Amino acid sequence: MNQLRWDPTLREWVAYATHRQERTFLPPAEYCPLCPTKPGGFPTEVPRESYEIAVFENKFPSFAPNAPAPEEPGTSLTPTAPGRGICEVVLYSDDHAATLATMGERRIHNLIRVWTDRYEELGSLDFVDYVFIFENKGEAIGVTLHHPHGQIYGYTFIPPRPAKELEAAREYRKQNYERCLHCDLLSQEHEDGRRILIGGEHFTAFIPFYAHFPFEAHVYSRRCAPSIADLGAEERSDLASVLKRLLVGYDSLFGFSLPYMMVMHQAPTDGGDYDGVAHFHIEFYPPNRTADKLKYLAGSETGAGAFIMDVLPERTAETLRGKIEAR
Amino acid sequence: MENEPEVKKERETKDDGRYIIFYTFEDEEEGED
Repeated sequence: MNQLRWDPTLREWVAYATHRQERTFLPPAEYCPLCPTKPGGFPTEVPRESYEIAVFENKFPSFAPNAPAPEEPGTSLTPTAPGRGICEVVLYSDDHAATLATMGERRIHNLIRVWTDRYEELGSLDFVDYVFIFENKGEAIGVTLHHPHGQIYGYTFIPPRPAKELEAAREYRKQNYERCLHCDLLSQEHEDGRRILIGGEHFTAFIPFYAHFPFEAHVYSRRCAPSIADLGAEERSDLASVLKRLLVGYDSLFGFSLPYMMVMHQAPTDGGDYDGVAHFHIEFYPPNRTADKLKYLAGSETGAGAFIMDVLPERTAETLRGKIEAR
Repeated sequence: MENEPEVKKERETKDDGRYIIFYTFEDEEEGED
């Protein structure tokens, strides 16, 4: 059952996918459904003995291409809608123990090409208005499978957080002589310098002035590229290099493979004009504030939407930059 | 890395009707990294 219900108090959709309760939960490595199917072994999601990068439709999707009309009709105040959309799983490698941080730059570069292909293909579907590429890594984030993988959601609507960001960028552009909000933020970070982690030729990694997590890092295209599909080969190569260095730095922070949420923000695929408004970038939100303490989204963050931080971004950037440069 | 290697994209249908796409890259077939 895939169903959307409208929350008129926050003016946003909530997705219900009750079949996801049954999904595979932290199986032992020998029964990983994302590993290749070995001769004589149990059939996994991947009917091959090996693979490089693979993408498949999620068995337990939050949204489905042919979602039926919901049985619950809703009301004019709280309408419902079919939970229509696309949910894909992206397998980064057939090596169960690998992570993005342990992979070579070449594999990361090739993965960027796969993300680009999925953005273009899913974005071309008439019912997909936003292609959201993301990764949840680590049990602290709530992952149910350890095999290195990410996900892609093709939403029938622009989800709230990117929508809010796009609205802010459009308003900023209107009030500032057609300037791009993200380009100006990036310029400010470069001029200040204290929160810069990696300055690549085409991409910059930094902890934003207004970070919501202690080690939150943003990776911005230095050119105002609206989406991943607007990048050239040299830019993809530089992005792979910057991601590799950032992720290796993350794993050096506390001596273990750091959990994180990775999300991409870019132009919607609803046919609108997002030049100078959408600016392709990747955001990482690691939950750790120390090796054994997590930043929880508690009362103020969840109930009020107001984040409270107990460490300044300048301080965490200095720590993380030291780890990156020491590698 | 101005010239990117060729990529082979193979789309298959699983037993339950879901699609799976395999991406194979020329440079990785050569075993370089």
